[in-house]
Amino acid sequence: MYLRSTPQGEFLRTARWGWPIFESLHFIGMSMLLGTVGVFDLRLLGFARRIPIAALHRLIPIGISGFAINLITGFCFLSATPDQYLFNLAFRWKVTFIAIAGLNVMIFYARVFRRLLETPPDTPPPLAARMAGAVSLLAWIGVMSAGRLLTFFRP
Amino acid sequence: MDPLFTWIEATSLSTWLRESPSLWAFPFVLILHTVGLAFFVGVNVAWDVRVLGFSVGIPLDALRRYFLVMWAGFWINAVSGVLLLIAYPTKALTNPLFYAKLLLIGVGIVFAVRIRRQIQGPGSGTRDSGLESTTQGTNVPPLARVLAAASLACWIAVIFAGRLLAYTCTRLTVDSTC
Repeated sequence: MYLRSTPQGEFLRTARWGWPIFESLHFIGMSMLLGTVGVFDLRLLGFARRIPIAALHRLIPIGISGFAINLITGFCFLSATPDQYLFNLAFRWKVTFIAIAGLNVMIFYARVFRRLLETPPDTPPPLAARMAGAVSLLAWIGVMSAGRLLTFFRP
Repeated sequence: MDPLFTWIEATSLSTWLRESPSLWAFPFVLILHTVGLAFFVGVNVAWDVRVLGFSVGIPLDALRRYFLVMWAGFWINAVSGVLLLIAYPTKALTNPLFYAKLLLIGVGIVFAVRIRRQIQGPGSGTRDSGLESTTQGTNVPPLARVLAAASLACWIAVIFAGRLLAYTCTRLTVDSTC
């Protein structure tokens, strides 16, 4: 299979500490994502209302960086042992949850975000914002759970 | 230590966690440990970058509410961590890296608590004194910034230590190797 012969796939299969180091980076990316996007989601749900949305939103680039780290390291895992993932039910769940989170983000920026910036701090967030926060939190918890289950659904 | 490991591994809880095919046994505990990590370390990351001067518009006193989330993550991981330890006591306790991980977690928590104290300012009993100025990020004490940078490094080390545990163990149970 093509993916297996890529240099990143070769590297992860052969380098002694390659896999554990990339796994650690994957967990660091996850913490960056949940520490910013997860914190923002809780604010959307009405937690710590005194924090202005716009100010908290400035942390999001850190979450996007974390997601990028995980996209890259994740693609490397996939390249190393493609059949462990492509035929794995947990992997399909994980991709589905990422897609849900992605769709939710698009709807949030298209429909909710601008209106939300106009609402003053200390007021309860509108229903649409709370929905977006809840969907995002649940989707990312789903992503992490499915990711953790990968080894138990190995084909 | 072997008699202790033998005893723990023979308990029904340990055996169930290790051997049950149910996803609610070992896999679920692992999921809890991962989700707890994301929130525990995640809130620390948010705090550290804010103290380091990222997004100074976030009022530090309001951000303090997130310590609740951080401690929730901590307790999820303390409980799930103890369950993982009950499942495989020999695996963890015969690995020096496990003790390094625990030590690093302790250091990280001390950093988090000290950063909070630095922000509150020495001896300020009331919630408001000294906080108006820190709200704009101009008055974060230099020591708090140093602690925040050290805290980030510490959590990265904790994650590496935790992940490497699976690759550095020598004994899986009392009578099997890794």
